[in-house]
Amino acid sequence: MFTKADDRLRRPATPEPERKLGDDGGPGKPDIRKPGGDNELLKRLRKVDPDQAKKYRQRSGQ
Amino acid sequence: MERILAGIETEYGLWIKGRGADSQVDDAMMLVRSYPGEHFASWDYRFESPRADLRGFTVGQLAYDPEDAKFDTGKSRGSDHEVRSDRILPNGARFYNDHGHPEYATPECFESFETALHDYAGQYTVLRAAKVFEREVGREVKVYKNNTDFHGASYGTHESFLVPRSLGFEKIYQSVLPMLVVRQILTGAGKVGSEHGDWVPYQISQRADFFVEPFNTETLYRRPIFNTRDEPHADPDKWIRLHVISGDANMSPDCSSMKLGLVKLALQLAIVGEAPIWKFKNPVDAFKRISRDMTFEFKIELDSGSWTTAYEVFESYFSAAEAVFDLPSLPDQRHPSSIPETPETEIYRDITMARQQLSKLRSDFSAFAKEVDWAAKKVMLEQIVESEGLTWRDHSLQAYDLEYHNVDPDEGLYFALREMGQVDDLGDAEDCLEDFFVGRLDTSRAVPRGIAVKEHKAHLKTASWRSLVFEVDGKAIEIELDPTRTYRRERLQGLDVVSFIQALRG
Repeated sequence: MFTKADDRLRRPATPEPERKLGDDGGPGKPDIRKPGGDNELLKRLRKVDPDQAKKYRQRSGQ
Repeated sequence: MERILAGIETEYGLWIKGRGADSQVDDAMMLVRSYPGEHFASWDYRFESPRADLRGFTVGQLAYDPEDAKFDTGKSRGSDHEVRSDRILPNGARFYNDHGHPEYATPECFESFETALHDYAGQYTVLRAAKVFEREVGREVKVYKNNTDFHGASYGTHESFLVPRSLGFEKIYQSVLPMLVVRQILTGAGKVGSEHGDWVPYQISQRADFFVEPFNTETLYRRPIFNTRDEPHADPDKWIRLHVISGDANMSPDCSSMKLGLVKLALQLAIVGEAPIWKFKNPVDAFKRISRDMTFEFKIELDSGSWTTAYEVFESYFSAAEAVFDLPSLPDQRHPSSIPETPETEIYRDITMARQQLSKLRSDFSAFAKEVDWAAKKVMLEQIVESEGLTWRDHSLQAYDLEYHNVDPDEGLYFALREMGQVDDLGDAEDCLEDFFVGRLDTSRAVPRGIAVKEHKAHLKTASWRSLVFEVDGKAIEIELDPTRTYRRERLQGLDVVSFIQALRG
């Protein structure tokens, strides 16, 4: 649960136990990994199609 | 001070290998229908009035992009209900096809960061549908949370604020417009190049190129900074929905929260008659100039012939709020991962954060870039320009720009920056995302909407922002949801439908 503003400094230091995710028919939690030794940005930049924006055409929305 | 109920509606960009804009309505419709999670599929359209104007009249028809009209020539796609394919979710959100864009409208919330996290969680709802759709059609599918295709088409991220009708158009417009012009500095998503006017390497706002008037009721064409659509999401005698269309789609939930918070600040000052009065010579020109001003001076011409800066405009709102409201002084409000208890604590948090960010913008840009989308993307692109020996006219920069907004956490560049620690993470908020998928934290009227979807689908006939219609013993029963009421989930869950309806009647 979220802490209220004035409770923020009183949060327990130990992490809460992991909860089951993706129940109740909702989407699963995204896998956001923690910073590691590899340069994740460089890895992803190499996979970007440099022509992707050229090919990207949309209808106008609101 | 009364709380202001607000929500965010995001139209997502959709790229499907081998398909184009001419088939986008059909594709978005099928993508939404691919959503595999629990939902209810009967939205109530009775209260929609996109042609009604806050100034008291109704326009005959809304302007339409002539380029899009070509895609629809000779096509028949069925009823509105079929084309939109609404899905109402167990958290009270609405997921549907809007003009060929999968749109996720968050459940309405009283607190800005809570709304922002719903918006963030919504990315995964859209992505989940896209993954299923990708398997079904056997084509690669990408979903982008941005507002431009770099070829002249824009699509929106709108905010809805519940505002007393008694405030009136003039007062709301005068109070809010200056904030809409300057808030992009703290909430813009950033864009490579330009789609109208002189070319620029980079600008702050994704939407600035598309505004042509200070105010009007249009949204698809001839877009205004201040939209006058009068389509209330509650009793129209008491309320209007302020429909803000000039903001960008943010990847950073902190930016989304600030985007709402700054408008709420202007509205709260309007309600007590203390909003600062600014007369900009040309609001549209000011919006565009700020977006393109990489000197960060942000000068704005005034009607009087003199000029001010965006910094002074921001500060005029902040100091007015401090003078008028009894704001708390809390020791640690630097990160909004704690939900404030009152509108006053929310305003205090947003003013404190905004002042810190405006200071960082001028003194420590790398620190500013950790917190604000347009700056984070700019730093990333500068690194690419330098390492790859590119110029800002190289078209590949727009591809990197686009991929910043890819909502797949395994592909999107925003998520890579998060992983690298180059933008702020969500702290403990990340661990609570599941609560936003099912709406466990809300207390607004979205709570009964979500519970009705989850527990009373057999009796629910239609749902909308403002009401639920049930059928019990052959009789239709409509329940108006009070937008100001605090709905306690624990008191509404697990009831039979008759008890549930009685509890909603209060």
